[in-house]
Amino acid sequence: MVYVDSWDEFVERSVQLFRADPSATRYVVKYRHCEGKLVLKVTDDRECLKFKTDQAQDAKKMEKLNNIFFALMTRGPDADISEVSGKEQAEQQQSKKGRGRRQ
Amino acid sequence: MVVLQPDRFLSELTSMYERSTEKGSVWVTMKRSSLKAKAQLQKMEKKGKEIEYRCLIRASDGKKSISTSVSLKEYAKFQASYATVLKAHMHALKKRERKDRKKAADAEKVPETAPKKQKKKSSKKSSGSKS
Repeated sequence: MVYVDSWDEFVERSVQLFRADPSATRYVVKYRHCEGKLVLKVTDDRECLKFKTDQAQDAKKMEKLNNIFFALMTRGPDADISEVSGKEQAEQQQSKKGRGRRQ
Repeated sequence: MVVLQPDRFLSELTSMYERSTEKGSVWVTMKRSSLKAKAQLQKMEKKGKEIEYRCLIRASDGKKSISTSVSLKEYAKFQASYATVLKAHMHALKKRERKDRKKAADAEKVPETAPKKQKKKSSKKSSGSKS
């Protein structure tokens, strides 16, 4: 079990994991309100990736990952997710620019 | 495990989130599935039939489990309503600090510029001066 710190890495690796074995991989969202914690998990029972957060901004990212997985799971592992994740990339670029300004 | 229609599932999920605000967690699992037994799948594969996959969604609060599945046609609608449910209930997460500072700064400025409009704050002030 690994907690992945970087969101982009988590998305990339979990999509890879799913594509390697689509029918064995599951995606779990655990939310604990009293502690304000959100844990995302992707596993095929051999490898397990987790991402933990308490930040509201990460909930928005999670929504995009939900969309990616809905697309992958219904359309199939070969589905083109650039449509779903394309927006994400655009926003990532924006946020990167934002980070630059702040520094 | 109770299998529900997507709409029923979402309303059950909503009440699950509401029940677990004070204690407990809610798990939502997504999985690609054909909803068929292995033996049946192998038969279908041998005959060369095309297997229809759906996205199986399960939710649990540790006591009760519910599930539903959406097909290729249905998923866009479900995805949108599911996101709405999540947004409505995941409000215990922390907002960004920068925003908090801004809000705090605004709150400090407001009573100075327009103390009469902020009835609540002025009442707090008066009560503060009394004590």
